[in-house]
Amino acid sequence: MMILVPVIPFVIVLSIGYYYFTTSLETNTISSMKRIVEDHRQMIESFLAERKADLEFILYSYSFDELSDPETLFSVFNQLQMESNAFVDLGIFNEEGIHVNYQGPYRSQLIGKAYGEEDWFKQVIKQGYYISDIFLGYRKVPHFIIAVPREDKAAKWVIRATIDTYMFNELVEKLRIGKTGEAYILNSEGLLQTERRSGGDLMEKDSERVLGATPHEGIKTFIQKDREGEAYLYATTWLKDKKWLLVVRQEKEDAFRALRSATYLIVLIIVIGGAVITAVAFYTTNRIVRRMEQMDTEKDQLGQQLIRASRLAELGEMAAGFAHEINNPLQIMKSEQSLMAAILSDLKSKGELREGEDLAEFQDSMDQIELQIDRCAKITQAILKFGRQGESVSRDVDLSIFIPEVTSMIEKKASVHGIALREDIAEEIPPVHGDPGQLQQVLLNLLNNAIDAIIDAHGSEGGELMVQARADENGKVVISVKDNGVGISPENLKKIFTPFFTTKPVGKGTGLGLSVCYGIIDSMGGVMAVSSEKGEGTTFTIRLPAAA
Amino acid sequence: MEQMKLMLVDDEERFLATTSKLISRKGYHAVTAASGSEAIEKLMTENIHVVILDVKMPGMDGIETLKAIKSRFPLVEVIMLTGHATVESAVEGLKSGATDYLMKPTDIGELLQKAEEAFAKRKVLEDKIRVAQSRMVQRSAREILRDTEK
Repeated sequence: MMILVPVIPFVIVLSIGYYYFTTSLETNTISSMKRIVEDHRQMIESFLAERKADLEFILYSYSFDELSDPETLFSVFNQLQMESNAFVDLGIFNEEGIHVNYQGPYRSQLIGKAYGEEDWFKQVIKQGYYISDIFLGYRKVPHFIIAVPREDKAAKWVIRATIDTYMFNELVEKLRIGKTGEAYILNSEGLLQTERRSGGDLMEKDSERVLGATPHEGIKTFIQKDREGEAYLYATTWLKDKKWLLVVRQEKEDAFRALRSATYLIVLIIVIGGAVITAVAFYTTNRIVRRMEQMDTEKDQLGQQLIRASRLAELGEMAAGFAHEINNPLQIMKSEQSLMAAILSDLKSKGELREGEDLAEFQDSMDQIELQIDRCAKITQAILKFGRQGESVSRDVDLSIFIPEVTSMIEKKASVHGIALREDIAEEIPPVHGDPGQLQQVLLNLLNNAIDAIIDAHGSEGGELMVQARADENGKVVISVKDNGVGISPENLKKIFTPFFTTKPVGKGTGLGLSVCYGIIDSMGGVMAVSSEKGEGTTFTIRLPAAA
Repeated sequence: MEQMKLMLVDDEERFLATTSKLISRKGYHAVTAASGSEAIEKLMTENIHVVILDVKMPGMDGIETLKAIKSRFPLVEVIMLTGHATVESAVEGLKSGATDYLMKPTDIGELLQKAEEAFAKRKVLEDKIRVAQSRMVQRSAREILRDTEK
């Protein structure tokens, strides 16, 4: 669940961006649509107004009689067609609506026809001008007409012109926006007054119900679905002089194409970004957890080391006190034994004792007591050394000289047992500070142990003993003594630095060597560690601070 | 040739008894004292050359006794006998005027050897004192002349 936390602000930022982008894009698109509709309306209106003005110009330039003359009308029509080829024909009507003159392709059919009762004629007389919807009329061809009346002292008449629907259609239809943008005109009954590019012929009923109940002012925009369920963005406006609705529409998807690609992009960013955030979060968390685990382990190890060190120190104190107390009775025993030996030799020299088997045994027993007292003394000495490190004379020790000196002491012993002794001492090794005597004791102890272990494993062939010294990355000096001897079992490894712990036969080792070494290294501010694999060998590692 | 005279100071009675017997058998004369104060008393009455002194004793301990001996009988050589294998106590003893030190349990041979060395040192010292003293007695001709002029 926590993984969602970094994702939340990310999603919020993207959402806000998306919201503002879409809003501004919609506003932009709609206003550009409005502008197009407005421009288009003006264009259409000015087209119609120009045609009306053309007719008015004729009306006021010629009298009814002049226009009734076919010759005159012919030349006027020619001039008109030069002005705008939108005009198809031109007709003159008298007050009663009789088609008195006509210039155009249907002259014979139309002249003399009476239009007095036609709706358009009535409107023209009433309103002063008339623009028709598109209709078929007598000719059964879609067209629309513009008619303007004039009244002077002599007569009242009407001029009427037919406008080429093709031309008008072109004018409206040529509008293109994007892929699907189109414009068309509907009359007040919802019949198409221009062709619709997306399908819809002239005079057909518009398939979409965009016509409002009442004509509206200005420009209306809205979104509506067509019958196929495709949503369109509409902008509509009514023409001023004519009950025609100009419709501009574009498929919503097309109009908001940029929006859609932005949406795709944002979704893509969310998916990829989310994945990256999640991956980074997992990676970072894992790293932190690992680091914490590592720190815990280090803490545990440190704690264990401290416990061991303090336990060793306590043991050392106790052992030292004990050894001291033992030394006094040992002294007396030694004196008694010496006295007995002295008396015995006196008696012998005086001849008061006869030589014999008993006397020899007695003598042997005496010797044995002396031997055992000495053994006890050795143990107590070792204990006292372990317990109190005493006064040591410290100085800087150059290991590149010191270690070869120490190893040379056991070189003979090693070669006798067929052990290959190798040294690997880094050239730039910093000196350490400590008592050279004590350090020598530690190294000799480790080397002798290693040789013993090798002899146990290999006899007198195939032994390998390696002494290494180098500086680690923390500025500590690391000395390691590595052998391929018998190795140490895990349970023994735990007790290896404990005083009196020995695997050697009784009387061979005091079990103090390594604990003394440990104490010495500890007093030098260092750490001694061991790793071993039963049957593979053992490595003792000493880490000492470099001399300041 | 003067015979070396030893004194053993230790709180362990049995050690004193046995060791003094041993020393006598080796042909030396040994006096014993069970405490520091007894040792001082005996030094006043007897002419003792070398003292073997245990460091750890109840009452007046070895170092105190050593200081007392050295202040009152500067010519007496003292060898410290310590149960501590630590050099510390021995060093402290040496600083306070002890000639040498022995570690318990010590061997009688070793003890006598160190005692002999100390005795030899004392004899050298005594000889020097004797020479110096005789110079004082035999005044030089110039001194005599100077004195008569006055």
